Amino acid sequence: MQGYNPKPGEVPPKFRKSTQPSKLLDPPRQLESAQRTGAPEGGEQTDGAQNRKCLTPELPGGPAPRRSVGCWATGAGAACWFWAPWSQRAVAPTYSSDSLHSSRSLCVPLLLASLNPCPWHYLTSLRLPRFLSAHLQQSQAPAQARQSDPGPCLPKHSSRVMATYTYTSRPRALPCQRRRYRDSLLQPEEEPVRYGNIMYDRRVIRGNTYALQTGLLPGQPDPVEVQRQQQVKKRTLAKKRAQEQLRSWTPEPVEGRKHVDVQTELYLEEISDRVIEVDMECQTDAFLDRPPTPLFIPAKTSKDMATEILEGELFDFDLEVKPMLEVLVGKTIEQSLLEVMEEEELANLQASQYAYEEMRNVELAEVQRLEEQKRRHQEEKERRKRQQWEIVHKQTETAHKIAACAFAQRYLADLLPSVFSSLRDSGYFYDPIKRDIEIGFLPWLMNEVEKTIECSMIGRTVLDMLIREVVEKRLNSYERKDRPAPFKWEDGLDIPAAMRDPTANYEFQEPSTSQAQRPLSDTDYLQTTSGDKGPPTQQRKLIEDEELLGQGEDSEMRRSFEMEEPGGDSDL
Amino acid sequence: MPLPDTMFCAQQIHIPPELPDILKQFTKAAIRTQPADLLQWSAGYFLALSRGDPLPIKDRVEMPMATQKTDTGLTQGLLKVLHKQCSHKPEVSLVDLEHRWRTLCLPMERLRALLQLDPCRGSIEWLKFLALACSTLGGSLNSAMKHFCEILTTDPEGGPARIPFDTFCYIYRYLSRLDSDVSAQETESYLDTLRDNVKNGMIGLSDFFVPQRSL
Repeated sequence: MQGYNPKPGEVPPKFRKSTQPSKLLDPPRQLESAQRTGAPEGGEQTDGAQNRKCLTPELPGGPAPRRSVGCWATGAGAACWFWAPWSQRAVAPTYSSDSLHSSRSLCVPLLLASLNPCPWHYLTSLRLPRFLSAHLQQSQAPAQARQSDPGPCLPKHSSRVMATYTYTSRPRALPCQRRRYRDSLLQPEEEPVRYGNIMYDRRVIRGNTYALQTGLLPGQPDPVEVQRQQQVKKRTLAKKRAQEQLRSWTPEPVEGRKHVDVQTELYLEEISDRVIEVDMECQTDAFLDRPPTPLFIPAKTSKDMATEILEGELFDFDLEVKPMLEVLVGKTIEQSLLEVMEEEELANLQASQYAYEEMRNVELAEVQRLEEQKRRHQEEKERRKRQQWEIVHKQTETAHKIAACAFAQRYLADLLPSVFSSLRDSGYFYDPIKRDIEIGFLPWLMNEVEKTIECSMIGRTVLDMLIREVVEKRLNSYERKDRPAPFKWEDGLDIPAAMRDPTANYEFQEPSTSQAQRPLSDTDYLQTTSGDKGPPTQQRKLIEDEELLGQGEDSEMRRSFEMEEPGGDSDL
Repeated sequence: MPLPDTMFCAQQIHIPPELPDILKQFTKAAIRTQPADLLQWSAGYFLALSRGDPLPIKDRVEMPMATQKTDTGLTQGLLKVLHKQCSHKPEVSLVDLEHRWRTLCLPMERLRALLQLDPCRGSIEWLKFLALACSTLGGSLNSAMKHFCEILTTDPEGGPARIPFDTFCYIYRYLSRLDSDVSAQETESYLDTLRDNVKNGMIGLSDFFVPQRSL
């Protein structure tokens, strides 16, 4: 690392080597490649890690004074801006923030400066981080755009120079080893800076470059060979891993327990190679608060002079108080006017409201009064109407009644005598005595008459039967006696001729009896029965009796007659 | 080191913190009252303020001030102020009255003329004086009573303006007695007709005064 001691104005040989061939052709593109090669980016480094490892103890402070003689970073910067025509060359050496805007080429010297600080670079790097990072972010987009254009040509170019090797790193400022003030909370903590030491960069050729061979170096292996070797290594590694995975392990401990390593050798022995650990503490000073910035007091530039002032010369109260009073009075009047106006308005509103309320109350009362009046009027009207209606109703009723009365009278006037006469004719007006005789007396009389007639009829019938029996008996006795003298019978035949042929006789008399029977129902039944119709009825009864008695029941009939005889006799 | 008595700059002028408020109240009062003679009125105002008496302020701005030019300048608002100042006692001394009269920038001749209507010495009953003053405000007895009611009432402005009927009767009789045209009998009959309208002993404006409202 110390083998190369850069001097001001000198370019690192590798740079010169790599950039010179294409310098004339395409400076910006060349610059890109230089940046890519010179400024390793964190994401893409391949062997940057080991570089970093070596670099970190190196950076803080130590080498800076030794190298203050010369700063190859500035030299590089000088070289850089020399072949960066689109950057602002004139400003480049002093690194104003303006120049950082436009030049991506400046990143290289900055990076170099951070690596190897001279006093001037140290200063710039101190105030660098903030705006540098900002500008880097700003310029990333255009940078990418620019990179995308020369993209295909870049690896070609680099492969021509150094085969597959690439190395990029974002340029960063050197952090101050010891913070002087406490970090402000607002500023975010910067991530730890990683650096690649360019002295470990394989692209940097150590020693002189005269004997440098183009093409493959004898010491360097063929890249294809290296790749194959790597693949083989990878394969063996993978195999090993697979074997490890296949190996059977101790099963997982039961829940609540854990595995503990136990010596399984035949003899127990003390493990004595344990390192003794001691805890130590170290208290560092707390960060001081940043002291307040002292007030800026410009330096005195004029002379002090003195003079005497008498009382009342400088200050006139009446005069001085005037503006104050003006303000006071003006403000007061203005405010008072406003307030009075406001209050007046409010009071006016209030008053008009009250007035309206009062008016409304009065009107309400009036309305109420009117309503009451109207109601009363209505009631009165209703009452009157009802009264009138009643009167009218009554009048019509009476009129109707009178009319009906008149009509009835007129109608009945000629009706009455006729009704009376018809009634009289139909016998509704009768003599009670006569009626009583007719209803009570006459039926009784008839009954009695009937009874009497019946008695007499029974008597007669009985008498007829008696006569007949006697006659029969006589006949019989005559027959028995007068067998030898039958003429007697002939004699006797004259008298009962009528008796012998009763049927003819009866039939002959029948119409007379039927005629006689009708009047029997009449009132003069008695007269007719009691009159001249006696013999036919007697005969008829006799015939009937004969029929009733029959032929074979003579004896019985006789007996009954004999029994009846006394009664009938007594009646007669 | 005490502050020097002498003043050197305007910053040394000290304004008492109460001053703006007092000034504002005074200004408002002045705007409201609109006194003819501001100085005289201010003297009266601050005198009353220092004594703690009721201040000679009108409650409301009275816009039609024309009467002040033509005749006495006595208005209902001014009477109200007087009433506010004097009503705490039934009798008011003439000296006191004169003082207050002057404070309100009213002409003294008017007061004398008023007092001649009902001569008295030493002191006058406040209500009577008020009634006399009211009678000069409006032409008729009725309008005088209206003013009287509006001054005396405790109802808010624009309200029914009710006063006790006894007071009303008293003042009405007093005024009608002074008026030779009205007989006592008429007065009594009028009061009797009013008595029917009286509700809980209070009589309002609407009970006896019918304004000619222009619609």
